[in-house]
Order: sequence, then C-alpha cells, then structure tokens
Amino acid sequence: MQKYWTIFRVNWQNALQYRGPTLISILGNLLHISVLLYLWNAIYRSGQHLGTYSLSDLITYYILQLMINSMVLSYISWTIVDEIREGTFSNFLVKPLDYLNYWFTINLSGKLFEGLMVTVVCLILSFVLIAHVSLPSQGLTLLRFALALVLAGLLAFEFDFAIGILAFWLVKVNSFKYMLQYGMFFFAGALLPLDLFPAQFQAVSNVLPFRFLVFFPIQIFLEKETAPMAGFVTAGLWVIVLYIILRFGLQRGIKRYEAAGH
Amino acid sequence: MKPLVTEAYATSLSGRWARYLRLYRSFLMHNLKNEMIYRANFAIAVGMDIVFMGVNVVFFAIVYGNVETIGGWTFHQTLILVGSVGVVRELAYLTFRQGFLQLGEYVRTGNFDVMLTAPMATFVHLAFRHVSLTESLGEGLMGLFLVGYGFAHLDAASWISVPLYLLMLFNSLVIYYAFSLMVNSMVFWLVKSQELNTVVYYFMNTARYPREIYHGLGKAFFTFIVPSSLIATTPASILAGRAEGHLIGLSIGVAVVLLGFALSMWNWSLHYYSSASS
Amino acid sequence: MPAIEVKQLSKSFKTQRKETGLMGSIKGLIWRESFYKEAVKSVSFSLEEGELVGFLGPNGAGKTTLLKMLSGILYPTTGEVKVLGYTPWERDREYQRQFAIVMGQKNQLWWDLPPAESFLLNRDIYGVDPKVFKRNIDEMVSLLDLKDLLDVPVRQLSLGQRMKCELVAALLHQPRVLFLDEPTIGLDVISQEKIRSFIQEYNRLKKTTVLLTSHYMQDVEQLCKRVLVINHGQIVYDGLLDDLSKRYIDHKVVKIRFVEAQSATPPPWLKGVVEWDAHHAILKVKQKEVAATTHRLLGTLPIEDLSVEKVEVEEVIRRIFEEKPGAEWAGEDTHGEPSLIQ
Repeated sequence: MQKYWTIFRVNWQNALQYRGPTLISILGNLLHISVLLYLWNAIYRSGQHLGTYSLSDLITYYILQLMINSMVLSYISWTIVDEIREGTFSNFLVKPLDYLNYWFTINLSGKLFEGLMVTVVCLILSFVLIAHVSLPSQGLTLLRFALALVLAGLLAFEFDFAIGILAFWLVKVNSFKYMLQYGMFFFAGALLPLDLFPAQFQAVSNVLPFRFLVFFPIQIFLEKETAPMAGFVTAGLWVIVLYIILRFGLQRGIKRYEAAGH
Repeated sequence: MKPLVTEAYATSLSGRWARYLRLYRSFLMHNLKNEMIYRANFAIAVGMDIVFMGVNVVFFAIVYGNVETIGGWTFHQTLILVGSVGVVRELAYLTFRQGFLQLGEYVRTGNFDVMLTAPMATFVHLAFRHVSLTESLGEGLMGLFLVGYGFAHLDAASWISVPLYLLMLFNSLVIYYAFSLMVNSMVFWLVKSQELNTVVYYFMNTARYPREIYHGLGKAFFTFIVPSSLIATTPASILAGRAEGHLIGLSIGVAVVLLGFALSMWNWSLHYYSSASS
Repeated sequence: MPAIEVKQLSKSFKTQRKETGLMGSIKGLIWRESFYKEAVKSVSFSLEEGELVGFLGPNGAGKTTLLKMLSGILYPTTGEVKVLGYTPWERDREYQRQFAIVMGQKNQLWWDLPPAESFLLNRDIYGVDPKVFKRNIDEMVSLLDLKDLLDVPVRQLSLGQRMKCELVAALLHQPRVLFLDEPTIGLDVISQEKIRSFIQEYNRLKKTTVLLTSHYMQDVEQLCKRVLVINHGQIVYDGLLDDLSKRYIDHKVVKIRFVEAQSATPPPWLKGVVEWDAHHAILKVKQKEVAATTHRLLGTLPIEDLSVEKVEVEEVIRRIFEEKPGAEWAGEDTHGEPSLIQ
C-alpha cells in the first residue's frame, strides 16, 4: 500500500512541474467556454431558447462541463499504448506492481491536481457571472453531485484504461482511439446537453454508460434529473462490470504480450 | 573567385517576388515528397479532419433544431462561416503554420541558425520551409464543401460577392499570420515554449461563431486582442449576403496594424536572440 | 584587401547562476544572480583570400561564438568584422550568397529524403544556375565518392556519409568563404581522413578561404599551415604551425628498444627519462644535446632500435593551454635542464 502512496506523491510532483501547460490548457478551454456563453446569451436575448433550459441552466451546464473535463476525463491511454507498443511495458512485468492499480493511482493524483486548479477557475467564473448561475436549492444536491463525480471519474478511468489495453491486440490502435473518444464525447453530453438531441439519438445515449461522465452529474446539480437513484445504481453497476472486464482483459493481454516475446 | 550565381537576383520588386514564388514552389514540392512517404497516415489524417469538422456541423445542426437564428445568422449562413474557418486553416498550413510549429524545436537544437545564414528573409524562410498541402487538407476540403453547400441553400445568393469573399479570406489569413507571428516571437526569450502554438490553436478555435454574439468588453476583446471574431465572420458575411462596410474596413485595419506590430516584435526578438545568446 | 578582417572583437553575454538543491531551485524562482561571461575577448586577426586557417582551442574557448559572429548569427558586444567587405551581422543578401557555414553535429539536410533533394532546395535558395549546379555537384560527388548515396534517405546514412553530404550542400553555391565548426567531431577515423582530404583538395582547387575550428590536433596538422590558438576567449598564438612547435618546444623525443632485458633503473647520468622498463625507454632530450646523448646511449647500452621524433603537437597545445593567457614563453627552465613532461 505504501508504494501506491509514493506513486501518488511522485506523480503529484510531476503534475506540479507541468502546472504551466495544464493551466494553459484550462485557460484555453475557458476561452472556448466563454465564447459559448456569449453564444447562449445571444440566443436567449433574441427571445429564443434551447429545449427546457433557462439561460442560467445552460451557462451552469457549460461551467460544470469545463470543470468535469479537467477533473474527470482521463488521457492515460496515450501513455499506455506507447508503453505496450514500445515494449517498456516489460518493466512492469518484472516489478511487484499491479498495472491497473498503478495507473489508477497516477490518474487519481493527476486528476486531483488538475481538479484543484480548475475548481478555482470555475469558482471565479461563477462568481463573476453569479446572476446567471443556477445554484442548487439544497445541500443534498451537492452531496449527490459529489457522488456522481466520483462515479464519473471511475468510469472515465475505466474507459480510458480499456482503450489503452486494446494495444495488446490492435497495432493501429491510435486511429481507433480517436473514433472511440469522439463517440464517448458525443454520448457523454460534452458537446451539447443530451436532451437537446433528436429522440433516436437519446434512445441510444440512455442505454450507453457514457452519459454518466458529463450529462448525469450536471443534471443532478441542476436538479433536473428525474430518477437519480436509478442513475446511481446503474452507474455503480457499470463500474463493477467494467472492472471485471478490465481485470480479465489485462490478464489476457499480458499473456499475449509475453507470448509475443518482448 | 566570383560566385557563379546567375539567376535573376534582381533587387527590383518583381524580380524578388518571382524568386520567392519559385522558392515557395520548391519547398512545397519538396515537402509533398516528404509527406507522400507517410501515405497511410495521410488517409487517416484527412478522415480525422473531416470528423472534427463534422462535430462542429452537428453542434450547429442541433442548436438550429431549436432556434431560427443566432445573432441574425441562419443555419446555412453559419455553415458558410464554419466552412470558412476550415478553408483559412488549410490556407494557413499552405503558407506558414507548420513552420511555426517547428520553430521551438529549431531554436532548441540550434538548427535555427540555418535560417539566419541563408540568403532569404528569416521570417519568409521559416514560413516557407514547411509549407504543406496535406497537413490540413481534410479541413480545407470539408470547409469548401460546407461553404458551397451553405451558399447553394441561401435565399439570396449573389455571385458578385465571391471575389470580395476571396479577398477577405486572404485578409483573414494575414490576421491569422500576424497573430501567430506575434505569439511565436516569444520563443526566443521564453524558457519553455511548447505551449505557444497551443495558444494559437485555441485562438483559431473560437473563430467558428458569428461575431454578432459578442457585446461590450467581449466584442472588443475578440476584435482587437484575440481577433478571432473577424477571421471567419467578415468573409462569410460577404458570401452570406450580410456584408457590412465598416466590418470590412475594420478587418483590413486590424490586419495591417497587427501585421506591422507582429513584424516589429519578430525583428526585436531576433535581435535579442543574436545579442543575448552564445 | 584581406578576405576576413577582425578588429578587437569581443562578445560577452549575461547568464545566470543556477543553484543546486531544493533551496536553490526555490530561490531560483524568484531571483537569480546574473553575471557576465566573456566568450570572446578583444580578438584581432586577418585572413587573405584562399588561406586555409585553423582555430585550435579546448571546448568553451570561444571558437564557435567567434564563427557565429563571422557568419552573422550573433551580434558582437564590441569590435569590428569585415568579411569580403561586408559586416556579417547586417546579413546582407549578397554576403549570405558568398559564404557558407557548416557546423559539426548540426545538420541542415532533410531527414527523410535523399540528399539530392536537399541539394536541389539549396540550389533554389542560393539561386545557382542549373548547369553550374550540376557541374559543382558532380565534381564534389566524385571527390567524396558519394555517387551511390545520393538517393538514400539521409536518416539511413552513417554519420560520416551525412557529414560529406552536408559539405556538398554547403558548397554547391561555390562560396568564397567557408566556415567549418568542428567538422570531424564524432566521426570515425576513416571519415575524418576523407573529409580532411576533401577540404584540402577543395581549397587547393577553388582557392576558397577556409576557417576551420577544431579541438582535434590531426585536423589542424594536416590541413593548416597557419593556426590561431584560442583559449578563454583570447588568441594566444597566431602563426605557422611549424613555428609553434619550434617556439614552444626545444627538445625531441627519443625512443629506445633494448636487445635484452635491462635493469629497471636508468643509468644515473641520464636525465629526462619519461619511461623506462626492462625492454623500452622513452626520453626527452634537448635539441642541442640529441647528438651527444644518443651517441652515448648507443655506446653504453645494448640498443636494438633507437628513433628521434618531434614532440607531438598535442603536447605543444597542452602547454599553451596550461599557460596563463598573455604569458611569455620562458624557454629553458632556469637550471638548463631538459624539462620533464608533466
């Protein structure tokens, strides 16, 4: 257990070193979100509206999306793919270290660091736009929101890790990865709230687990989610099922890797 | 012994232009050969570009499923806007963008000195050395398609607007170039410079929306500090039949001023580089 | 008029002290102590057209900084330079078309394409007439034996082959002045030799003024009659290479091989012993005592083979570098004894 704490600490140091680029990427997203906020504002000012959302709801949606982007979404698959393809994965085979737990720890420390940075940015932004932010009416909402975020983080990690270990089987995994990540992006509600999409699309997105990454947590916060409990249970089940699949997949992947004689 | 160079090294303006044009063609062909070596990646890259632009289109399609106009722009007018961004990006890669992306590496390894000793203006050398047809080809093609599609579905399309559209596209390219040049000049005095072009990227990303959505401080910011609101809106507004004289004038003004400022900053940074390094 | 004229050229730049350790880096975030480093101190020299001159000096002596100022890459702090009548850092196009600079280990060739492509590109950049271009390329390709390599991507060439191509790329516009910064660094012995011969031949044929920096003795020994020795940013010697040896060293090296095993200790009358064991010996003997000493050696010891050699120029240079800049050579040491090698 001690080793994982050390890994956490070391990666935190690393994240500290990269705080410059991290901040710039957050600011870049912030710039983009700002433009979107102007967009919504322009639409609502002209008397039009989007779905069942008030302007405040929409603005809050995107501020939260900015936060969730940095805090939850995982990009470790890039490194995992490189490690497997270049053979540095072998280093892990010889160490008494569980690959899945290792990456979970790294991801956790990185996300917490980024999360801290982005939360500060979002709080400032919300403060500036306080008149247009939909705040929850009860404290319970915040607790639920926190739980939703935790589930989102776990799921995001699991999806990304799964994509990463595809490299055990696929050579040209990077192009495939792009497609998968775009798909995830869409069905998570990161582009636009899912309930603005056409009905057929929504039917699909309701079945897929990706909505728990962005859409579900935000709906909880906005108090628009009609069946929060069902959502939590479903999300929890996905976490467990994916974990089992990942364990199994990792095992098979390692066997295949060893067989290839690295 | 006299050097045996005999081509038209006229100091006359036309001679110089002809020479730079020839050099441009040389670099473009050279780079094309380089890119053809990585053929497989090329197909994938084009695909990715198309998907990326597709996402933009879907975004607007959904929004327009709920509203009629954004800032007065209809769906088809917006398509012209989105398409124009793609066209400008491709034009940028055809003229200068890749060079800036490589600048950090050049300076870090010391190979940048080649650009100081070759008989070409340094900023032109940097721009032309990596001109690429294929780097953003997908976006360019998709962009053209969207512009065409949007134009074809306009209520009041007018072909007279096309030449002015092209002219303002060129003007937007100048703005994009000037902004990139300004930001990239910092590579000579910043210690870590990988993020410079990320900044430029974020800048271009915000060009995809009609300028009319901004007001007040935001409008000023996105016109004068990060002039992205002018890049697509101005040319697109012409083709979309909502051209405004003052907007055109403003765009040209910003282009000229920004370019002048950027060139000064570049020259100053080069001077600093040649004085302060070893 | 000389091709290259340098007057009191100096270059110093500001740099910052970086402290080590955790406290150092934290402190470094806020404030760093700046100090000036003098890379080149008041250097003056001139070269006539067609000369092939070597700049010799240890790493950090200022050679590269000097070349960068002569090629216009860097601005000096003070001083004057005229190359072919131009001030290099004004970066006059006409000047740029008449010189070339090649820096060892830094390449201007395109990595994934054959060298022929890079040559074509340079042809266009420098505006070389296609017929002239072909002639120059053919000539150099045959001198360097590159015929089969022209179509191989640069990344597949060996370091030596790459360096040869770099030279061709630099010379295809037939510059009047060529700056070479450590051209043989990192190369294998055979490639070094080939490149040296090429430079020698090219200078002989085209009368190009060549200024070559190196920290390899062999480069300078083979190619240059005249050398400038530079250390700590200053020129400590400017003259013929032969005179360098004569001025700094007044003894010769005597090498002996014995017929049969000898005692491990040299005879007491013999001074200047560097090495001595049962089968071999190496001695340093003063110039004027060579004849007498060897005569006595041959008379008293069973010597199978004896040779008298010049002191290695390396040795000469080492001595110069160990001197403080500006110090006069003292000649013999005060006791008149042959000086032992340190």
